[in-house]
Amino acid sequence: MQLTAASHPSALRARLGAAACLLLASGMPGAARADAGAGNQLDATTLLYAERNRTNVVEPAARLTHTFADGQSLSAQFEYDVITGASPSGGSPSGTPQTTTSASGTVKTVSAGQVPLKDFKDSRYAADLEWQKPFLRSFLSTLGGHFSREKDYQSAGLNGKLSIDLMQRLTTLTLGGGVNRDRVFPVGGIPAGLSDGTAPPGPAARSKDVTTAMVGLSRVVTRRWLVGLNATRTLERGYLTEPYKILSLLDGTTGLITGQRTEDRPERRDRTSLLGSSVYHLTDDVLYLSYRWYRDDWRIRSHTIDARYRHELGNDDYLEPHLRLYSQTAAEFYRFSLVDGTPLPRYASADYRIGALQSVTVGATYGFRVPGHPGEWTVRAEYIGQFGKGHPADAIGVQRDFDLFPQTDTGSLVVGYSIGF
Amino acid sequence: MERRLLPPILLLLLLAPLAPAKPVATRAPRPAPAFQLAGRTGSVALDSLRGRVVYLDFWASWCEPCRRSFPWMETMHQRYAARGLTVVAIDLDKDRDAADEFLARYPASFPVAFDPAGKTAEAYGVSAMPTSYLIGRDGAILSTHAGFVPGKADGLEALIQEACAR
Amino acid sequence: MTRSERRILHAVLLLAVSGLASGCAATAVRPWDRDLLAQKKMRLVPNPMVDAVDQHIYFSKEGSTGGMDVGGGGCGCN
Repeated sequence: MQLTAASHPSALRARLGAAACLLLASGMPGAARADAGAGNQLDATTLLYAERNRTNVVEPAARLTHTFADGQSLSAQFEYDVITGASPSGGSPSGTPQTTTSASGTVKTVSAGQVPLKDFKDSRYAADLEWQKPFLRSFLSTLGGHFSREKDYQSAGLNGKLSIDLMQRLTTLTLGGGVNRDRVFPVGGIPAGLSDGTAPPGPAARSKDVTTAMVGLSRVVTRRWLVGLNATRTLERGYLTEPYKILSLLDGTTGLITGQRTEDRPERRDRTSLLGSSVYHLTDDVLYLSYRWYRDDWRIRSHTIDARYRHELGNDDYLEPHLRLYSQTAAEFYRFSLVDGTPLPRYASADYRIGALQSVTVGATYGFRVPGHPGEWTVRAEYIGQFGKGHPADAIGVQRDFDLFPQTDTGSLVVGYSIGF
Repeated sequence: MERRLLPPILLLLLLAPLAPAKPVATRAPRPAPAFQLAGRTGSVALDSLRGRVVYLDFWASWCEPCRRSFPWMETMHQRYAARGLTVVAIDLDKDRDAADEFLARYPASFPVAFDPAGKTAEAYGVSAMPTSYLIGRDGAILSTHAGFVPGKADGLEALIQEACAR
Repeated sequence: MTRSERRILHAVLLLAVSGLASGCAATAVRPWDRDLLAQKKMRLVPNPMVDAVDQHIYFSKEGSTGGMDVGGGGCGCN
């Protein structure tokens, strides 16, 4: 069965990733500002990311920081991603092979019983600037700007942070905020929500505004133990729908696909997250633990537990195993499909990323110096497994035979290099 | 205003009184606490320096600004030794090897004493790393300086000159 | 969020924050006790660039965001 596709979907990751860049503190942490002498630092990373049978990403990034004698610093970061592969369209599996066609003419076929995927290829570049200035001994201000662009998405933002050292620098209070203006300009224009493709073409582009506020507190508890707590509130307004994703229309009895509709999401999303973290220095090794609680007004709730153990091997080399456990509930309007003949809901999406899912990440980082050569290297290999409810109780007819949420296996490799000069 | 914003705002107001303390630049003169600590060769005692102007600096190998203060202190020591200045640096490292490594990189011809337990630092009320005290010929603390910033070096030198002239 | 959920959350937050903000004199960390904290690995986010890569990855695979670096710790110099 041929699924009509508007064009190749660009990486949702990249499109939504702009908001994640809002308050990234890639610069030096608060109390360390006056510690680094004047000089330069180069940090480079390359990510190789591959989801089995799905998305592949190659993402090199480099950051250059110059610190002045008075402690001020300026840094610039550049990133370039190439994203290829396929991602789920949101449609349901069927008893026969399904094909999708991207705008560039690439045909993607999935076999019977498989979740349909849409092929895509995209590249994205991003630039970030950050300026930090310590003042009055206990304050550190940070100002940053971000810009990124890909074929059908653009993001621009400004962010700022103020860190205040209190109580002989044992406690640091941080206040941060950011604003971002994103623009989506999908190939074929913005589709009408929940439409079967016959609606007249919509506007060529729509925008989305993201505002973030953050309050954080960190505390030196003992000579070996640092803890932090922060709260982030993000308000999104504007076009939040995925223009390339669809939902299948199913026959209410047989579960066979009779058609499809574009998805539709609310025009606002309010998110809240609380993150507690701890760093503890044992004799030589360091244990990192964190827990994040999240909820938003789409009714997604999630919990994230992250644990790393940095084991020193001597000679400045280390091995750091990592475990991350994640669990989220589905958005209010998430559903596997729509039922033909029943009234359409106000909002609906079958995008697995806002469904109920769990992720497990297992990996390790090896950090080392090459004797006789300056700079520090890190190599990190990780496996991410993502699972969801493949056989929900309310699956209709023939859909009961299919795995509606297949497990995704992902491998990632990050190579990093840092040098001061 | 959203009711939900109220609790965070209350929290901020609670924390407002914890404003950063002003750095203590000068105080009414008080006698510098005596100390006798192990040095690199023999012991270092403050009493033995009565009659000289002492620039006393508390440092550690992991203290980044100390990498800039040491060359400056060496210059001061050599420039004003004849006029009565002695620089004394008290090391607060818990790891002696780290201190020795630091001294190999940033040589000091002035006396260096070791206070790993931090008792002398406690007696002086060291509030930041590094902290330095300018002690007059009569043993009274003339001024206290928390932290070291190259921009303040000229001002410190002027204070040293003034103390030596008395 | 239900009312009781919200009350519990606020109580936990207030406790955590007042615990963080108060001066626990019993285990006072003096300025010269920060040798371990001065190391780069003793930061809440020891490797910001790799952390940024992770935020991209998980943002694109999952429905949550948030949890930014707040700094703090360190050698506390100057």
